[in-house]
Amino acid sequence: MHIEIQNLEMTYPNGKRALDGVSLSLRSPSLVGLLGPNGAGKSTLMKLLVAALLPTKGAVFVNGSPMPGAERALKAQLGYLPQDFGLFDELTATQFLSYMAALKGLKDSRAAVQEAIAAVGLEEKARARIRTLSGGQRQRVGIAQALLGDAPFLILDEPTVGLDPEERIRFRNLFSRVARDRLVLLSTHIIDDVQSVCDHLIVLHQGKVRFMGTPSELIRSAQGHVGTFLAKNAAQEKGLRVTARINTAEGVLCRVVAKALPDFVRPETPALEDAYLYLISGEAMA
Amino acid sequence: MKRIYLYELKRLLWNKFFIGLLLVTLFYGGQVLQNETLLGVADTAPFSPWSFGAYLGRMLPLLWVGALFFLTFFTGAAQKRVAALTDATPAPPRRYDLARLAAAATGAALLSLAAVAEALFFYARMFAWYGWGALLPAALLALVPALALALGGGWLLGRARPWLLWLWAALPFVLMVLPLPQALSMLNGSFFSAYPASLDALDPAFALPGGVLAAQILLLATGAAAAVLGAGRRDVRV
Repeated sequence: MHIEIQNLEMTYPNGKRALDGVSLSLRSPSLVGLLGPNGAGKSTLMKLLVAALLPTKGAVFVNGSPMPGAERALKAQLGYLPQDFGLFDELTATQFLSYMAALKGLKDSRAAVQEAIAAVGLEEKARARIRTLSGGQRQRVGIAQALLGDAPFLILDEPTVGLDPEERIRFRNLFSRVARDRLVLLSTHIIDDVQSVCDHLIVLHQGKVRFMGTPSELIRSAQGHVGTFLAKNAAQEKGLRVTARINTAEGVLCRVVAKALPDFVRPETPALEDAYLYLISGEAMA
Repeated sequence: MKRIYLYELKRLLWNKFFIGLLLVTLFYGGQVLQNETLLGVADTAPFSPWSFGAYLGRMLPLLWVGALFFLTFFTGAAQKRVAALTDATPAPPRRYDLARLAAAATGAALLSLAAVAEALFFYARMFAWYGWGALLPAALLALVPALALALGGGWLLGRARPWLLWLWAALPFVLMVLPLPQALSMLNGSFFSAYPASLDALDPAFALPGGVLAAQILLLATGAAAAVLGAGRRDVRV
């Protein structure tokens, strides 16, 4: 599976420019984390990739074929979980998945549905009406429908929203497993979700690609720009972006990112979250 | 698409709203049969095609609303949220829409059959009359074109703007008070009482003027065309 995005622009009818000159190349197998603050353009990019929107400018190629024109071929290979979606409350989880399997044209839909239910751990609720399911269980039905039929290209927009921490870890591992032989695009603003499983990261901010590479490359870019200090007065924080405040026996320990660390800040080894915040805030400070 | 059709039918029929609609239809039908149909229209028997047609004409607004109620399952805000998933599948949009429309049409047909069955039961109980075959042309002519128009037009309008469906639902009630030309008078049921009265014959056989038949065919064709036009449309923003 190969997705090529060239100079993509998307401006909504209200004039809001959601994407600005985005160019990317995604190739399977890979688990690509799409990071960015709210409103960065992540969901817009995903909607363009599933042909729910048409770009204002630019092109998307699916295995070399341009869109529009290749939508059917793309959708035949796609598993998609949007950020905001609905389910048929009148049906059971199994019936809804069987419905989606029919729309996806799966031949052995019964086996595919059972496999998807098992993958998301929803066996106990498989025969329960969807209206009786909790928010987390509904989210799992959403993930299950994306996994139906072992689609070679998975687009998951904030898949772990509404899941408890234990479930989040379970699904992170599941996504990592399925990405061994597929292309998985995982959009999130939860750094923990991508830290351990993604082999590639794309950071979107204000509609532009700010970073594209491996997690370790992003972390390296923040080396020397992350540190901590014990806060004594508010003036110390000037020009610094405080990413965490921790109460300690000696006082409040501030973790900061900055282009140049002042002398009173002790340099620290950056984590992915530091690097991400440095990237985003670095532009804000520039 | 057979599985989609069956699941959609389950969604439409296996809920308390459908049961409520069915009960209201049967209750109202019973009232019309006992208070109006029992007397017959235009000096014909209560079980003549004319009286039966007049009964269906009285039931039509309720059946029209029932048909549109089924469409709300496909045009409401909840459906739009599900469409985020279904639109990302390779299913041909037109075939998918037509499968859902077929489910709505089946729901409307079942509701209509309930009203027809109630009348047949009424005739059997009150008059021990069982010549049901004679009523078939009146039933088909009174219901099929009108409900096809309701569903096709409702589908097209509801897909454009969901609130238009409610305006469309009011149409038969407006037509009830409008003096329609004879060609369109099946839409408000007045044809079944006015036309036999104009024939100046005692208990006339069921017959249809060419203009009325042409209008019914036109209504049927318009409903079908609207359904086909509305099917397969997707909200893809440029």
